[in-house]
Amino acid sequence: MNIPVIQTIATVMWAILQAAGMLAVAPLLKTAIKKMKARLQGRQGPPWLQGYYDLAKLVSKEPVRSETASWVYVAGPRVYFAAAVTATTLVPVLVPAAPLEAVGGILLLVGVLALGRFALATAALDTGSPFGGMGASRDMTIAALAEPALMLGLFTSALAAGSLNLGVLVRTLLEQGPSFQPSDLLAFSGLFVIVIAETGRIPVDNPATHLELTMIHEAMVLEYAGPDLALVEWASAVKELLYLTLLVDLFIPAGIAPHVAPVALVVAFAAWAGKVLLLAAAVTLVESTNAKLRLFRVPELVSISLGLAFLALAIRFL
Amino acid sequence: MTADILILSAAGMLVSVFLMVGQKALFTTIRLYGAQSLLLGVVAATIAVSENRHELFVTAALTIGLKAIFIPWFLMRTIDRIGIHREIEPFLNVPASLLVSLALTVIGYRVSSGFPVGARGVSHHLIGVALSMLLIGLFLMVTRKKAITQILALLTVENAVFLVAVGVTSGMPLVVELGMSFDVMLAVLVLGILVQRIVDRFESMDVSRLSKLKG
Repeated sequence: MNIPVIQTIATVMWAILQAAGMLAVAPLLKTAIKKMKARLQGRQGPPWLQGYYDLAKLVSKEPVRSETASWVYVAGPRVYFAAAVTATTLVPVLVPAAPLEAVGGILLLVGVLALGRFALATAALDTGSPFGGMGASRDMTIAALAEPALMLGLFTSALAAGSLNLGVLVRTLLEQGPSFQPSDLLAFSGLFVIVIAETGRIPVDNPATHLELTMIHEAMVLEYAGPDLALVEWASAVKELLYLTLLVDLFIPAGIAPHVAPVALVVAFAAWAGKVLLLAAAVTLVESTNAKLRLFRVPELVSISLGLAFLALAIRFL
Repeated sequence: MTADILILSAAGMLVSVFLMVGQKALFTTIRLYGAQSLLLGVVAATIAVSENRHELFVTAALTIGLKAIFIPWFLMRTIDRIGIHREIEPFLNVPASLLVSLALTVIGYRVSSGFPVGARGVSHHLIGVALSMLLIGLFLMVTRKKAITQILALLTVENAVFLVAVGVTSGMPLVVELGMSFDVMLAVLVLGILVQRIVDRFESMDVSRLSKLKG
């Protein structure tokens, strides 16, 4: 076999490995956040493997689908899941390169995530249940503001490195070493709010309740049961891990393995896990100390982060 | 290292002003002001260490003690006492205010690069942040109805001036700084009393009602 073919196979293997790894770790992150939150409230919290138990329980059930549902309803969770898994291969995790970085960078990442969101929102509309439609419209309202903010925040980092490719971006940031610009902090604050909004954490959405007045994401997936629901839940967990990894990559890249060696990879994994847990702790803290915002206030919060992200970009030029 | 801390603190102050513009909860706004003053204290302390100017430690201590702890506490106590509705009612809604603040920040930064010392480096960011804070503070002052929020806006403007004075110039004499701190404290006390009087008279902190006093 010639060398390009081998390289392609290696890249694909690496992509599969990374996606599988992210899929395997994601439920653990969700449980970790639940546990930290429980500790802050003086409770014990669920056991560490609860995330996996929940998924296993859902998978073992039979899927119940509405009689009026069409293929859109069936495709929704699958596309959402596929989009989340694809997105994991575009982000550097342990080494300063993403498996499929040759395919695309920031724009593809945002686009793939938007595709997943679109699929889930259309699927929610499909059954004709009022909750689905309500959840979809709310989710889109927030997404319309969160998406440009996410892109502007990512562009700020891209501008520093001179590339839209996440792999190149992280490598350049590592070479430059730690250097602080005010725009870094502004972009980080903006993106942090976006992560909270996109993962449905408390000031924006409450993942733990099914209260009809306030729910956003839960309203969209209310109709789903069994394996379909498992896919949605799993993809949401992966997305959460993905966003935190993205923040870690762009703002605290130190600790990523400089070359592929067993020891370096173990160190990089520990550093990555530590940094992600640190950010998760910050998310938990925000979630525990704030009350959920009224729905009409949420666009205001997201527009603050849009403003911060825009400012971060503007200050780069001034 | 020094430059990093200074830039981070200044950027933190800018973020806090932005959150103030976007906030509607009165207590959160006051806490944000406290955080902003704490960062100002960090700026003063950092410069004191790096340039070996010990009198700036007094400034830092005064800033943190007075502006980050005493004034927020006093304002919260005033609000508790008069028991007003704890929400800010701006004349301009939040997204529009944010847009205006964005424009003001861009102007502030642009103007900062016109100064000989402010063209690049740390002082570019310090002057830029300070000018932006100054403009946003003035903007907040004219668009907020409640007297307490106007006091907070005034204090933000004061913080901005202080940031330039400490971070860019070689500093003010200690007497001037003591005088300024004392001034701020007195201003807040007097304004606090004034707010209570306004509430006594109108049963609201809405300063737009003051126009009724016209004969």
